[in-house]
Amino acid sequence: MADMTTEHELDTIDVNVNIGPQHPATHGVFRMVLVIDGEEVVDLVPHIGYMHRGAEKLSENMDYRQAIGYQDRTEYLAQFNAEMCYVQAVEKLAGLVPPDRAQYIRVILAELNRISSHFMFLGAFGTDLGVFGTAFTYAFRERENVLDLFEEVTGDRLMYAYFRPGGVAWDVPRDFKERVEWVCENALVGAMDLDKLLTDNEIFIMRTRGIGILNAQDAIDYGATGPVLRASGVQHDLRRAEPYSIYDRFDFEIPIGTNGDSYDRYLVRLAEIRESVKIVRQALAQMPEGPILPERMPRLLRPAAGEVYMRCENPRGEYGIYLVSTGGTQPYRLRIRSSCFCNLSALKHMTVGHYVADAVTILGSIDIVLCEVDR
Amino acid sequence: MIGVLRSLTATMGTMLRKPVTIQYPTQHRKVPERERAFPILLWDFDIDEPFCTGCHACERACPVECMTVTMKDNPKQAAGESKRRKIVDEFFIDYARCMRCNICVEVCNFDAIAMNNTWTGHELSVVDREDLVMDRDQLMALSKEKQIRPWVPGA
Amino acid sequence: MSLPFLWGVFGVNMNVWLDAFVRLQLVVVVMTVTVMGLIYLERKFVGRLQMRLGPMRTGPFGTLQSIADALKLLTKEDLRPSTADFWLFEIAPYVTFVPVFMTLLALPFMDGWFVRDLQLGLFYIVAISGVTVIGYLMAGWASDNKYALLGAVRSAAQLISYEIPLILGVLAVSIVAGSLNLNAIILQQDTVPNLVLQPLPFIILLTAILAELSRRPFDIPIGESELVGGPWVEYSGIRWSIIFALTEYAGLWGFAVLGSLVFLGGWEWPFGTRSFWGDYDFVYQLFLVFTKSFFIILTMMWISATFPRLRIDQLMSFCWKILLPFGFFQVIINGIVVTYKPSEELRDVLLFLTSSALLVAMSLAIYLATRQPSREERVGKLLASRSAQ
Repeated sequence: MADMTTEHELDTIDVNVNIGPQHPATHGVFRMVLVIDGEEVVDLVPHIGYMHRGAEKLSENMDYRQAIGYQDRTEYLAQFNAEMCYVQAVEKLAGLVPPDRAQYIRVILAELNRISSHFMFLGAFGTDLGVFGTAFTYAFRERENVLDLFEEVTGDRLMYAYFRPGGVAWDVPRDFKERVEWVCENALVGAMDLDKLLTDNEIFIMRTRGIGILNAQDAIDYGATGPVLRASGVQHDLRRAEPYSIYDRFDFEIPIGTNGDSYDRYLVRLAEIRESVKIVRQALAQMPEGPILPERMPRLLRPAAGEVYMRCENPRGEYGIYLVSTGGTQPYRLRIRSSCFCNLSALKHMTVGHYVADAVTILGSIDIVLCEVDR
Repeated sequence: MIGVLRSLTATMGTMLRKPVTIQYPTQHRKVPERERAFPILLWDFDIDEPFCTGCHACERACPVECMTVTMKDNPKQAAGESKRRKIVDEFFIDYARCMRCNICVEVCNFDAIAMNNTWTGHELSVVDREDLVMDRDQLMALSKEKQIRPWVPGA
Repeated sequence: MSLPFLWGVFGVNMNVWLDAFVRLQLVVVVMTVTVMGLIYLERKFVGRLQMRLGPMRTGPFGTLQSIADALKLLTKEDLRPSTADFWLFEIAPYVTFVPVFMTLLALPFMDGWFVRDLQLGLFYIVAISGVTVIGYLMAGWASDNKYALLGAVRSAAQLISYEIPLILGVLAVSIVAGSLNLNAIILQQDTVPNLVLQPLPFIILLTAILAELSRRPFDIPIGESELVGGPWVEYSGIRWSIIFALTEYAGLWGFAVLGSLVFLGGWEWPFGTRSFWGDYDFVYQLFLVFTKSFFIILTMMWISATFPRLRIDQLMSFCWKILLPFGFFQVIINGIVVTYKPSEELRDVLLFLTSSALLVAMSLAIYLATRQPSREERVGKLLASRSAQ
């Protein structure tokens, strides 16, 4: 009876489970169809596009100042980083050099935005795992502090439209330094709160360690960037590799993970909060007085004809703006290289072989923003 | 096992802190000076007419094209009371389209438009969407009644 | 000692059916009020743990929130998927709730305050509370929804598995007390509560209660973040609230009272059968039972608010590999000690020692099973220190 094969013992059908688009755990309108065999995921088909609003096409009808608002709405959790990438691309084309004070303000606000975005991740990740509300409220407590500061500087809590090609729109209020220092202290305390709640919790570790492993070569192949790439062990941070703005004047470390699982992605983001606070404190100490826009700013910006690709380190990865100009007041083509889109392409690779509950954990650990995936 | 107990102590620790809830609508947050709610028009109390001359600069600069402006000859200029040759006739802003980007405030040559920086700027919900199209009198109401100290950048 | 008017009015002169009916009505009223109070308590308590206030607007300090919720749910549209199996769908919530309610019938809330004093009280309680599994399965199958079916299958596995530690926990105590009658178990605790004699079954019981009620960290069947609602995803309105409000909180209350009667001494400890106020002893007895079950309820709410959820395989291995063996050992050792005890006084001491030793052993087993690499290995230099600097 050497012929005992087990292939046709039981004919089972794999079940298709549809998660999304309306779902509390999918971070926006994202739909994934899991093909499961019992409890294990065999295949995963992601469906995106529910939030496509044509930001790139709309930007072709706007002049360069009007299009800043669309960058906010594309990346609604890391707005200053997206705006910074865009205005730097325009500055490259137009040959504008922002004054120092504007550069420092930009860096401080961008790093604070990174802190608030990572807090949002921590809250949402805890909720995905089932810590009903406790992680969320802790994280949002700290995020509120940052958002209150942004409201004092720009006037708005979420859609700032504050950076301009050449600098920033207006100067910061008088008590900016004290407020930023206060926010930084509280951010560190809040991060430690979340650390105490989650990092050593055995249930949390059992749910995230070894889940969704992405090794370094695969991460590079899939085009993953940001904390996803760094958690897999690749030392790549655009603020170090290709310093833009004034990042070469600051001394900070880059947290690198070892295994590339969800736990490392969580740890990398938690550590980046501390590094961002370091950068903000250094920038506060070094910030000079001075103008915030160059001397001669044209009323309506007409950059020279040409194309430029500018990339920045967003909290989620590499955010790129490819800008083509024909010399007019409106861009000819504005293309956004979205970090979440490329990170999401690795989702199937990370999830196959795990359980259904892990699919939600892995999706949460990639930390996607649907507006950026769909633009 | 130990980590689990650490989580429990962390949660119990926050129980002893003051809750962070603000009980809206009986209490409000204090809005900062630069708060950017929706745009409003400003009233010139010296001459008793609006600052706005209807020059269409904000209408052209608006990314979402939410404004409609017309201008007319200023009767006060003919009477010698005012230096503005034209004055705004009709001014409509569709608050449902406005994205509060502040560009209209920046391009205005006369500092005639500003962002509403009071709490009431956020409490504008209506039942019918068409009631969100504000006309000139509604836009000037807050400034005429001296209830506002708007913040115009660079002013 | 029982309440004077109860004895006088509902004494032996009354028809036994009418007597049972009136007692049932009392239990229904008390249960409804308690469930509303528990919902309010959970929202306020968990809100405080999360640095927020909880309900504040409906009534003074939000006390009328539960009533407002009940009114809202009563007026909601009663949805039913058109392809759902009609009778199974309609009846499933009741099949889940009624057994939980029936466990309340055997509990003596105070001396003389019970619906029926059953000789097999404990056996009845654990047996009848096991019928709720059928309700989950009915709801999951009848909803004609993949999510619901997945949730129902998961919950059936979980509930049936965690029945066993529940039974073993109370079985250990019944061996010590020598009876399954709840009144007898309580009367045995007049000097020392069973918690001292049997700490391990108490912990096992608490864990099994959390799992039986599908509360976090064991709420994978009604996983709010994935299979939203699990088997109950198609239910709305008052039918939904029968599960998530009534069953869960009535079960929480019932099991907490059971835990306080069986382990913490109920209305008997610490004052024993000494009567202080004659016919009005029930006041302090009520207070005692209330405080003890309140303590158990608060502990369970605290745990629920803090932990992430366990995955289904982790949940099952926790039950079968840790709770179950130690429960069995406890029962066996109890039997040995009670039968071959050297003397009466030493019996209590031996029980305490053996149970504590098993508790330490179980903690060690949990520690070894869930042991993760130390913080330095896991985290490395990423988050070097634990303090904000």
